[in-house]
Amino acid sequence: MSSANFTSEQITKMDQIIARYPRSRSAVMPLLHYVQSIFGYVTDEGIEFIGKKLDLATAEVNAVASFYTQYKRKPVGEYHIGICTNTLCAVMGGDAIYSALKDQIGSEHDGVSADGKVSLEHIECNAACDYAPVMMVNWEFYDNQTVESAKEFVEKARTGNPPAPTRGPKKLRTWKENSEVLAGFSDGLANEGISAGKASLLGLSKMKNSGNN
Amino acid sequence: MSDQLTTTTDVTLKIDGFEVTVPKGTLVIRAAEKLGIQIPRFCDHPLLAPAGACRQCLVDISINGRAFPKPQASCTIPVENGMEVKTQLTSTVADKAQKGIMELLLINHPLDCPVCDKGGECPLQNQAMSNGNGQSRYEGVKRTFEKPVAISSQVLLDRERCVLCARCTRFSEQIAGDPFITLNERGALQQVGIYEKEPFDSYYSGNTVQICPVGALTGATYRFRARPFDLVSNPSACEHCASGCAMRTDVRRGKTLRRLAGDDPTVNEEWNCDKGRWAFKYESARNRITTPYIRDESGVLREASWPEALSEAAKLLLNAKSAAVLMGGRATLEDAYGYSKFARIALQTNDIDFRARLNSNEEREFLANARPNATYKDIDDADHVVLISFEPEDESPIVFLRILKAVTKRKLAVTVISPIKSRGTEKLKANFISASAGFELKAIEKVDGLTNRSVILIGERALETEGLLSSVEQLATSKGAKLGWIPRRAGEVAALTAGAIGNLLPGLRPVQDAKARVDVQTVWGINQLPTKTGKSTDEILKDSDVILLGGVDANDISSSAKSQLSNKKIIAMDIRFGTSTEVAHVILPVASVVEKNGTFLDWQGKPRSFESAVESLNRSDVRILSMLADEMKRPINLPTVKAAANEIAQFDKWEKSTSNWHVSGTNTENLNLGPTEAILNSWRLLLDRGSLQEGEDNLAGTARKTIIGLNRTKAEKLNLVEGELVKISADSVSISAPLKIVETEENIVWVPRNSTGAQLVSKFSKPSGIKVSVSKA
Ligand code: SF4
Ligand code: SF4
Ligand code: FES
Repeated sequence: MSSANFTSEQITKMDQIIARYPRSRSAVMPLLHYVQSIFGYVTDEGIEFIGKKLDLATAEVNAVASFYTQYKRKPVGEYHIGICTNTLCAVMGGDAIYSALKDQIGSEHDGVSADGKVSLEHIECNAACDYAPVMMVNWEFYDNQTVESAKEFVEKARTGNPPAPTRGPKKLRTWKENSEVLAGFSDGLANEGISAGKASLLGLSKMKNSGNN
Repeated sequence: MSDQLTTTTDVTLKIDGFEVTVPKGTLVIRAAEKLGIQIPRFCDHPLLAPAGACRQCLVDISINGRAFPKPQASCTIPVENGMEVKTQLTSTVADKAQKGIMELLLINHPLDCPVCDKGGECPLQNQAMSNGNGQSRYEGVKRTFEKPVAISSQVLLDRERCVLCARCTRFSEQIAGDPFITLNERGALQQVGIYEKEPFDSYYSGNTVQICPVGALTGATYRFRARPFDLVSNPSACEHCASGCAMRTDVRRGKTLRRLAGDDPTVNEEWNCDKGRWAFKYESARNRITTPYIRDESGVLREASWPEALSEAAKLLLNAKSAAVLMGGRATLEDAYGYSKFARIALQTNDIDFRARLNSNEEREFLANARPNATYKDIDDADHVVLISFEPEDESPIVFLRILKAVTKRKLAVTVISPIKSRGTEKLKANFISASAGFELKAIEKVDGLTNRSVILIGERALETEGLLSSVEQLATSKGAKLGWIPRRAGEVAALTAGAIGNLLPGLRPVQDAKARVDVQTVWGINQLPTKTGKSTDEILKDSDVILLGGVDANDISSSAKSQLSNKKIIAMDIRFGTSTEVAHVILPVASVVEKNGTFLDWQGKPRSFESAVESLNRSDVRILSMLADEMKRPINLPTVKAAANEIAQFDKWEKSTSNWHVSGTNTENLNLGPTEAILNSWRLLLDRGSLQEGEDNLAGTARKTIIGLNRTKAEKLNLVEGELVKISADSVSISAPLKIVETEENIVWVPRNSTGAQLVSKFSKPSGIKVSVSKA
């Protein structure tokens, strides 16, 4: 299947994704991530092409794309920042961080800065309450944030030098690059950096020290 | 319950203290229904897969004393032995849970019942009263949406009323195979929607309006027109095709305001198609004929009284050299019987044909001698269904749903022999054998895997290829497969049964069989019947000098029919002015379907009886024929529909048939196609320029567009690109439409038969099988 919107290389990659599943329709979610890795968001062309490829109605592909908040139907920044505003993070400073970044970036939920570098959304719990308040950028963790550290991140990200995430790879990858990872193409960085932080392991080490293991 | 009656596949449980035994796999909510216990529900629908989407049906369940930790959705849980269910009637927990769900559902519900179409017949209204708290505790701002969203030209969506039950989306996906509406977004913003650029393109969309348990989906035509309690509902039958849907006609002050699908598990289950649901404005069209007319010497129609018109018509018929009857395929059994008896007694001839459309002598022999025996049930049980010259989604939509159901549920094998691969063929995941009109005989040789559980369904269009009806009948007989003949119109099977054709008397009795004639003479109380086989439609058009037309549109017959008719004396019985009244000398108005009683026979031959839904002075054809016969002093004694029905009941079906009627067709010899030529192929789309769809703009908005279809190779050879305007021409006439690339053979060009700008029957010498040239327009 050829298309005006996708290169033959990109189509080959889509075929690789589809080939992973016994039933092709299961590929709809990684394909949506893959489309995001190309355009930065899920475009109409992407939805229509996925529909054709998987023999699904465009309405069905759109239903999936609109259900999951990880799929964006309009462009986001190169660095997409999510501030957790669920109860714990919120009281630990998440609300304050969100409103500070809102002013700094000059946009609201899912909005992009004028230079297209950063965008902001508030997100639901990321299972990292032990590092509250948590900020995620392109789905990498930035733990124990403050208004200052978050603002500093934005400043640096705008110049193309974002600080490294607290956990995960040593260098932050762009939104498009990470979308490709989510589509199932490894960037080889899975084992870089720490995965479980100190706070997560505290209970375990306490138990070990008590000799009760 | 006694032991002999229960089987190992039965399950016994207790609901609210009452024991009930049901088949294994039954859902708790159904088992409760069996006891007469009604659990409130929204998403549950017996014909859709369980979804557990609305949670309104929560009940308390324990199995052998072990209770589920919290209330369970009774519409998703199958019964088990030892199960004890407590509904809202016996469990305060279940009752509280249901009330809680109802309160949540109503939080964002606008409660605009006074301006909602559903108000008065709304499951949400009703169950909020029966199973809800009287008062809401919610004081916040309700979620609102822009309203309404037109998800097609005929279905409107008010999202804030939706309870997210997913009935509409499940119907579209599971039953219609058109998954173009989906649940989008999530959480508080979750909503039903289409993909913005693609409307809800389905021939069955109206069913979603009917099964939506709230007023979220409404029909554009009915919206804001009436309150349910002002309507008088009448069970009815659909007059639009041979599927035979049971319907309900809702009338207010003598006018049909809407039609709904009726419930008949042996025919349409609970569904219908959008044509049956929404094409009814023709009944009250401005061009309805309300009084008799006579054409005066100067050729102008003038109003006439009934006695004058009847006597003028009688005079014309009595003075005819050769009088005949031509009847459209839309008459009821009783009316067709009236025409049949009128021809034999009042006109003393067998010159009658109900096939006011393309026809052939082979077809007439097929109709007289083949005994199609397939039913919907046979489709349910079939191991293989073969469709020949028949596109069910367009030509008999409920037959299509039935086949699709078996394809979805149990992977029924389907083979389709058709010129192009239609959307219907794709939905049926059928084995597609491409064959142009005229070339199907080769194609049927390729069909294998036929057993006595197989069903062959052949459409009316089969007559367009010589030898096809014969071969298919022989094929079915040799394999013991069931055969179904599915004409397009609702009245054809009844007309055949009534003997409204030149070689048959009522009950499929051959004109040429003396014993058959005696049967008929006995019932009619006469001692002689005409013995010469009657003329067919084409012969009548050629040779008869006075013709009684019953609901005939000349443009359905051929491009020359109208001019042929204009040279004769015509008596037209019809509901509206049209091609027949333009050439008529006497016009006699008759009742439309809503105004009369009657019976259609669906393609299985099953009677679909209905009674008049509106009061009217218009009378059924049979009554007027009886008056005309009286006027001619050759009475047929059928003063009422009832009288006709009683008389028809005296004829049993003549089972004998001859076996040597078959015609051996040749595969049309090579047409010698030039490089720019192709063979014309066509069928009628469900929604098109059909005369009973007139005036239904919302319905017409969802009709599929007129296209000219070619395969890719042919288009490339002719230097044509998809979407550009293309022209086909023959006989110095042409039509043009945008090109669409379709899956077909290189020598085929496909065009819808009766769509806007492409009315082939009245334009070309034949609407299929002829050579046409294809070029840029
Ligand atoms: S529109 Fe009606 S049928 Fe569809 S999900 Fe909403 S309430 Fe259910
Ligand atoms: S399928 Fe046929 S009978 Fe049923 S509603 Fe449609 S046109 Fe009428
Ligand atoms: S009716 Fe059971 S969950 Fe909706």
